[in-house]
Amino acid sequence: MDGTQTTNESETDIWSEAGTTRVPFQIYQNPDIYAQELERIFYGSSWNYVGLECEVPEAGDFRRNFIGEREVLMIRKDDGALSVVENRCAHRGAQLCQALSGNTGSAIMCPYHQWTYTLDGELTGMPFKRGINGKGGLNSDFDMKAHGLVNLRVESLNGVVFASFDQNVAPLKDYLGPDMVKYFTRIFDGRGLRVVGYERQVIDCNWKLQMENLKDPYHAGILHLFLISFGLFRLDQESKCLVDDSKGHSVLMTAKGTEEGKEDTGGVRIAAPDFALTDHDLIQPRLEFGDNITLSIQTLFPSIIIQAQCNTLATRQVIPKGSGSHELVWTFFGYEDDDDEMKYLRLRQANLMGSAGYVTLDDAEALEFSQVGFTGSPEGEAAVLEIGGTDCESNDHLVTESLIRGFYMRYRDIMGYGEAGT
Amino acid sequence: MDHQAEMNQPVTDDVLLRRIERLQLSYISSIDDGPLDSWPQFFTDKCLYTVLSRDNYDRGMELGVMRFESVGMLVDRATATQHAAVFAPRVIRHVLGPALVDDTGEGYRSRCNVVIYQTSPDGDTVLLMAATYDDLIVEQEGVLKFKEKRVIYDTHRIPDSIVYPL
Repeated sequence: MDGTQTTNESETDIWSEAGTTRVPFQIYQNPDIYAQELERIFYGSSWNYVGLECEVPEAGDFRRNFIGEREVLMIRKDDGALSVVENRCAHRGAQLCQALSGNTGSAIMCPYHQWTYTLDGELTGMPFKRGINGKGGLNSDFDMKAHGLVNLRVESLNGVVFASFDQNVAPLKDYLGPDMVKYFTRIFDGRGLRVVGYERQVIDCNWKLQMENLKDPYHAGILHLFLISFGLFRLDQESKCLVDDSKGHSVLMTAKGTEEGKEDTGGVRIAAPDFALTDHDLIQPRLEFGDNITLSIQTLFPSIIIQAQCNTLATRQVIPKGSGSHELVWTFFGYEDDDDEMKYLRLRQANLMGSAGYVTLDDAEALEFSQVGFTGSPEGEAAVLEIGGTDCESNDHLVTESLIRGFYMRYRDIMGYGEAGT
Repeated sequence: MDHQAEMNQPVTDDVLLRRIERLQLSYISSIDDGPLDSWPQFFTDKCLYTVLSRDNYDRGMELGVMRFESVGMLVDRATATQHAAVFAPRVIRHVLGPALVDDTGEGYRSRCNVVIYQTSPDGDTVLLMAATYDDLIVEQEGVLKFKEKRVIYDTHRIPDSIVYPL
C-alpha cells in the first residue's frame, strides 16, 4: 500500500505483534478504536456502496443510506447523472429526508426551516432571507456558496453506485483493482438491474465480524449443516479464494456437483441422514453466468458483500452501529431480462438467505456468540487465525483464513497499527 | 379489487368465528409451545405461506424472508429448524388481536394484528415484530386450514435473525 498513513502512536500497543494471525479482541469492542475506524476508513479514502442505479430511475428520486454512521442520499439529477449528498441540513443539522426512498422533486428542502438546495446540494434559498420590512433575515454578506450540503464523490460501475467523502480518492476501478473488477462485472455485466426486495437485520456484533464471516470459507463448510447436507457448499468442492493486491478485497467461489463421489466431510457432523428435502428447486441452481460456479461471495473493503448463491443475487451492506452492533441491509436483485422461471427461482431460493435464511440465520447467531464470547476479555487476548497458514495469498481450496488475514493487513495499514509485516 | 371487496360478506356465524379463532390459536401454539412438527398440518397441501416486510409489500415486491408453497416445503422448514440450524435457544410468544373475517366465496379471509415476542436464555424479552396475518382459510373434509397465510411485518429492522416460523 502507499505507506503514507501515519502511525497511530497512541494505539500501536493494541496490535504490537507483526502479521495478522492474531487479531486483538480490543478492536471489536473499544469505542475509541471504533471512532477512529469511522474517521480513517468510512470517512477516509474508501469507496462505499450506496445503492443501485435502478433504485433511482427518475429525476428527483432518492434513496437514503449510511456511510459509517453518517446518512447520505443517492439522488438522480435532472440530467440523468447521480449525486450523493449528506442528509444533513447546512443550517441547523436537521435530517432532510426521512423516508427510505422517494422523490424530492427538483430541489431538496429541509422540513425544519425550509432551507432549499439543488439536487447537487447547493444552497439556493430560504424563507425570510431578507427578513420582514428590512428587519431580521440574513446579513447581505452571508455566503450561500459556502453553505451547501456535503457533496460526496460518486462513481457508478455497471449500475452499482459508490461514494466517498474523500474528493481525492483514487478512481473506483483503481480502488477495486483489475481482479476484483473482473468478478464484479461477472455479476454486474451491464444488463439492467431490478430490485427483487429488501431485508434488514440488526446483529449485535462489531461490523468487522460480518466482513470476516464472508471471508471465511472454513466456517461455511462446518457451521452451515443445511449447505453441507445438500451439497450447496462443501469444503471438498472445486473452489477458488482470490485476494486482491491490496489484500482488502476478496472473492470466494465454489462449484456444486464437483464433490460428487467424495466423502470427505472432514469429520463434520451432518444433519439427520434421513432429512430429505421436499423442495428440490431450492438447491438446483440454473447456471446463468457462463461458468460452473454456483456460489460466489465477493467482499469489497470496507463493507459491501456481493453474493450469488444459486440464483439468489444480493448486495449485503454492513452498516456499523457502535462498536458492538451493525445493521445488515440485503438488496436482492435480478436482471430486467429475467424470464418468468428465473424471477420465480430468485424468490424461491431467497429462502436460503436473509434474516430467516436456511443458511444465513446460522451466521447472525454465531456472530453474536463471538461478540458475547470476547466481551470483557483482558487486553492482549486475541483471535487465532492460522487455518491455512499465516499468509494472505489466494488459494484453490477453502480450508483457509487467508482472506481474513488479508482484510486485517489492509485494516492495520489504514488504522496505523504499526507494521503489519507480511 | 373493488369488485372482489363487494363480493366479501362479513362472517357473522358465531360458531364459525369460534372455529376460525381456534384454528389461529392452535396454529400459534404449534410454534410457541410446539411441537414444531405439527405446524405444517394447519395448511392445505398446496398453499402459500410467506413472511414479508410491509416495506416490500408496499413496494409491490413479493420477496419474503420465508416463502413456502406446499406442506412439503413447510415440513422442510420445520425439520431444518430442528435438525440443521444453529442458534441460541429462545422462546417465541405470539399475541393475536381479534380478527376481521369475511367470506370471499373462495374461503374465509381473516385479518388480524399480531405481535411476536422473543425471550433469550438469559430471560431478556424483545419485540421480534409487529405484524398482521392476512389469511385465506378453507374447509377441507370438515377441517379448517390455511390456503394462504401472509405474515406482513412492520418491524423490518429485524433484531438478529428469524429462527422459527411466525
